[in-house]
Amino acid sequence: MMDLSQAKLEDFRERLNLCLNCAACFYRGPIVPHNWRELPPPEWQAPSKKCPSFEYYRFRSHTALGRLTLAALVWRKDFPISDDLIKILYTCAGCNMCNEICQTFLPLHSILALREEVVERGIALPEPLPEMNAGIKEFHNIFGRKAKAKTPEKLPAEGEDMYFAGCYANYRLPKTATATIRVLKAAGINIASLGENERCCGFLARWSGNRAQAEKSARYNVEAMKKAGAKRVILSCAHGYHMWKNDYPRYVGQLPFEVIHVTELLAKLLEEGKIAFRHEINGKITYHDPCFLGRHGKVYEQPRKVLKSIPGLELVEMERCGKWSYCCGAGAKVILNCYPDFARAVAKERLREAQQAADTLVTACPVCFEHLKKTADQEAIRLKVRDLPTLAAEAMGIEW
Amino acid sequence: MDLMTELKEIIGTERVSDSAAICQAYSYSCFLGMNWVRKPDVVVIAETPEQVSRILRLANHHKVPVTPRGAAGQGGHGGPLQGGILLDLTPMEKIILIDTENMKAVAEAGCSFFKLSQELFKHGLMLPTAEYGPGPNVAASAITPVNAFGKTRYGRNIDLVEGFEAVLPDGEIITVGSMAYADKDFGPFYRYITGPDLVGLFTQSNGAFGIVTKVAYRCLKRSPHWAFHSYYWPLSRIEEVKQTLLEGTALEMFDVHVNDKYKYAGLEYIKLLPPLPEDCHFIVYFTVNAETGEELSIKEKAVHDLAQKYGGKLLPGLAESFFAIWPTFFCPVSNPIASAISRVVLDVVKGNYMYIYDSLTYPTSWFPRVYQKLMEVGKKYDIWESPRFAVFDGFAMKSQVMCSQTWAFVDYNDEYWVGQIQKCRDEFREWFGERGGVFQSMLPPLTPDYTWTNQPGAHQLLRIIKRALDPNNILSPGSF
Repeated sequence: MMDLSQAKLEDFRERLNLCLNCAACFYRGPIVPHNWRELPPPEWQAPSKKCPSFEYYRFRSHTALGRLTLAALVWRKDFPISDDLIKILYTCAGCNMCNEICQTFLPLHSILALREEVVERGIALPEPLPEMNAGIKEFHNIFGRKAKAKTPEKLPAEGEDMYFAGCYANYRLPKTATATIRVLKAAGINIASLGENERCCGFLARWSGNRAQAEKSARYNVEAMKKAGAKRVILSCAHGYHMWKNDYPRYVGQLPFEVIHVTELLAKLLEEGKIAFRHEINGKITYHDPCFLGRHGKVYEQPRKVLKSIPGLELVEMERCGKWSYCCGAGAKVILNCYPDFARAVAKERLREAQQAADTLVTACPVCFEHLKKTADQEAIRLKVRDLPTLAAEAMGIEW
Repeated sequence: MDLMTELKEIIGTERVSDSAAICQAYSYSCFLGMNWVRKPDVVVIAETPEQVSRILRLANHHKVPVTPRGAAGQGGHGGPLQGGILLDLTPMEKIILIDTENMKAVAEAGCSFFKLSQELFKHGLMLPTAEYGPGPNVAASAITPVNAFGKTRYGRNIDLVEGFEAVLPDGEIITVGSMAYADKDFGPFYRYITGPDLVGLFTQSNGAFGIVTKVAYRCLKRSPHWAFHSYYWPLSRIEEVKQTLLEGTALEMFDVHVNDKYKYAGLEYIKLLPPLPEDCHFIVYFTVNAETGEELSIKEKAVHDLAQKYGGKLLPGLAESFFAIWPTFFCPVSNPIASAISRVVLDVVKGNYMYIYDSLTYPTSWFPRVYQKLMEVGKKYDIWESPRFAVFDGFAMKSQVMCSQTWAFVDYNDEYWVGQIQKCRDEFREWFGERGGVFQSMLPPLTPDYTWTNQPGAHQLLRIIKRALDPNNILSPGSF
């Protein structure tokens, strides 16, 4: 079968009417029926609440199934791309739960294809995506900041191990970048960075439907890394990781370097004995799988391995974890920026779920971290929210 | 005040929408193709019977049609025939009661069979249904035929219903069957009350007499021992297949099911299954359950003897590895078998399942003649064999009634093949209807104008009741 992840709406012609309307992508109960002898195996036991946009908006239209239907109608020219269709389309959180469930039809890809159709037809995107896309194009970051990216630590511009901080760690969460760099340096890694020459990875452009900009970002960043002599590109951001790991090769061909998320690298360094956690961090901690590291990237074990290695720390799981983890609400950054009430509602639900299990929530993506932390503060939810690199630094006795 | 404003006052602004895109997403009847579009004008998401009651009063005042709908998954049909308000009951999904001792369950209308079944399993109970998908709801399955998936030898889902809570068109909330006294000490213990059974008024009604908000089901004990066996026959031995079904359903077992070989065409194609034997045309599956291993062995022997008696040859592995998980098969998700089959559908026939008929009901003794007629018209319209593979899927019930569905693979966008299916459907229904065959699918393409032609007496009485209960004809208009 063809790779649907980059397919255009037209490529779905034959698939759009294949959905059997089984409702597994959004409705309650495990995803796969069982036989009469036994309960479904755990990998088929999806949580009761799966699709954030269905849980928030409650209309069938706001599900993978509903969006797939609408995509089919748009393709058949039976339905216009109207304002209300745009809202339905862009309130998909992109969490990949539907693709995890429906591995046959992969409905999320058709949603992305329809977003690209919107951009191709020149139809206005929900606010503030036009502005953010313009920011990516002009200033090379999603915040539209004129200032160039600035890695908090002075690093060489060339090297085999290149750190790609991403917009969040560069502009909003320098502590995440600092902690990551210092931990990697402590492991003996000669870490380097593109510094001012680092540009947005293009993730938001891709998830806006702006494939041209996403491809442009990919070409620039890959070329820059090649010139810098990269053998390994290390990322903090789950969204960036997804772009580099999964989308870039589709845009520019096979990458001549390895792409690795910082949690994967930390787990590796622990295994090789290059780092060790000697400082206790006491408490009950639960790990939130970022959608783009977990379901999109299939990185589940490494962050848990890192956390379990920290002395004093008790790792407990939330009810929805691993491949069945729930979105934090940031929703591929689209929900966070375009539909903040929805984003906050989902974050609240996730924080309350974490609260049931632990006193601290740890995640491994700056976007998820900032959104969850902010919501916990705003809503006075008594739960500590941490990001994994700073926690690792603390356990190593490194200041950040 | 206009209807939308009043609806929003009842439900809240966020749960009412007349957005064209939102309404459009509710407009399809799965398996019937995209040409069967019936779009509501407004979608309302109700969470309580009281909200349903207020909506119906309002709809009556404005004389606006109301049609209920659940998640309607796994091939289930559902949706309005004539616009108006679509009442989405998916948030009403609570399990109200599981009475382990008396083996009864009560759930809200939107609760999925899967959710209810999972809970029953924990209590050592089960529903004798195969409708275990995440989508189909306990009420939707009772008020529409959904499709034949729910049937086992024990009967159809509606044969398991013991009571309803429903909201009448004028907004009154009523309880019938075992739900009539559900709040008393005995609980909802038996369908039949003092006087006529009113449960039947709501089953298969498509919501035309009232909106069901709660359903009481009777359950079975979940047996600890299970076995699965399948046997095959050539086409020329169809009479023996019939006898096997008649006698098989008379035995005490869980399920007897029959397919023709076309069901496996896709699996053979992708080499997931070894080729079926050349003389295999019909496959009969037996699902046997028992309380003890000894009892199971006796039942298994009875099955084997029966198949032998009528010349059936053992088809080892098929029932155990495939049919035993057949509810899984129909849910095309993480299951590799389902995914593989779907890929075949895509790669070979460039289309999807499309029903020729759903839930045709007739005496099991008529199985050979019904099958042969289906084959005749299927061949005439070129949909019987490769690559359309019209599949026969028959559920034999212990009342010696057969319920079957037949589908073919077509691209919904291909007008020629959609047309061929429609012609096949039209020709077959004349033949079937004249003989007293019962069409249980009451949505397009078998809307009641044809469905009822061979049972005018019953239809007339139902129309009288409908007029009395729903003088403004607001509930699922077009159904009766």
